Amino acid sequence: MKIVFTAKGKDWHSEMDPRFGRTEFLLVYDEEKDELTTYDNSDANRQAHGVGPITAQKLFDLEPDVLITGNGPGGNAARILQKGDFEIYTGAMNMTVKEAYDKFKNDELSKF
Amino acid sequence: MKEIVVISGKGGTGKTSITASFAYLAENDIIVADCDVDAADMHLLLMPDFAHQEDFYSSEIAIIDQDTCTKCGECKKICRFDAISFQEDEYKVKPLDCEGCGYCANICPVDAITMEKQNDGDLFISTTKVKSTMVHASLNIGAENSGKLVAKVKSTAKEIAKKDKKEFVLVDGSPGIGCPVVSSLSGADYVVLVAEPTVAGIHDLKRVRQVVKNFNIKSGCIINKADLNKEKTTDIKEFLQEEDILHITDIPYDENFTKSMTEGKTIVEYDDKKLSEIIESSWKKILRLVERKEKS
Repeated sequence: MKIVFTAKGKDWHSEMDPRFGRTEFLLVYDEEKDELTTYDNSDANRQAHGVGPITAQKLFDLEPDVLITGNGPGGNAARILQKGDFEIYTGAMNMTVKEAYDKFKNDELSKF
Repeated sequence: MKEIVVISGKGGTGKTSITASFAYLAENDIIVADCDVDAADMHLLLMPDFAHQEDFYSSEIAIIDQDTCTKCGECKKICRFDAISFQEDEYKVKPLDCEGCGYCANICPVDAITMEKQNDGDLFISTTKVKSTMVHASLNIGAENSGKLVAKVKSTAKEIAKKDKKEFVLVDGSPGIGCPVVSSLSGADYVVLVAEPTVAGIHDLKRVRQVVKNFNIKSGCIINKADLNKEKTTDIKEFLQEEDILHITDIPYDENFTKSMTEGKTIVEYDDKKLSEIIESSWKKILRLVERKEKS
């Protein structure tokens, strides 16, 4: 399973970024390969408006099975993400990426 | 560290007056962030000193290089903002009308148009009259607030809160339901909705509730001027119950609300008792709610 996290840093110990569109990084964890890959999102962050759809596009390109984020996507991003073939879990804020992953595994996050 | 965001949807409900009062009561225990940048006015009540200033770049503007331009006029034809004029045998960009979409730069057959970053205004880090740190911004003429600017104000406030070990960031949110509001809400721990019992007030409360719902953030509502239209106040309360929003308090209409403003004072500084007591108990209630959430 391929899981994407919105995060403020590049590794398991990084804090989760509660924001979707303006997240600093997208971290992709490939469970089969046990591999964590980092994608910098600062180019989206430089935009004044419309970052939700830009980040959503990036997410689609990553072809994940699951997205784990904090507050959840805003209106525009949510409309796009609902077309995706993956599940979204929210409520992963004020914790590290590792903690968010554990919570997801224990079914402690809310499904969007 | 917890982030409390105050929003209203509709303008004129008393959002900033109430937020400034909360900030006054909290003194130096919090960091204040004014994200209502289009019509920033919390500084009128909290008297920040504008000590630290930095330029803020957000939007872009089209620039036409006259030496390269072949005067084909394609840019003028496609600009949906009507921001390109033809004067004195030259195509020129009207800076106030250009939205920075970049369409013209994209279609120009000779690449005569470039998009340049525009200085949209100033970001300030100040000390308020109650010695708290306040992050705020002011826009240049014709510039608009954006999700990016709000994100910048909020992240600056949060960094300072972390550094100074403050437990709360109090955010005066942006109006409406657009990009700046989404940015105001994203990352928040608690939302305070300030509503008023009018047709427009209820309409806008419902609209902004939809945005908050997306983010799955706990929220409470203050009904300001609640005694002006009891029927509509009842309607709001029913809506709050349906939506599982906590009704924090009712504030009655009181001329001291505006009188305090004209003297550049927060309500809790100006008002004798009644209003101040309501606002103070609301603030305490909000703090309890935010802390309780952490424990649960």
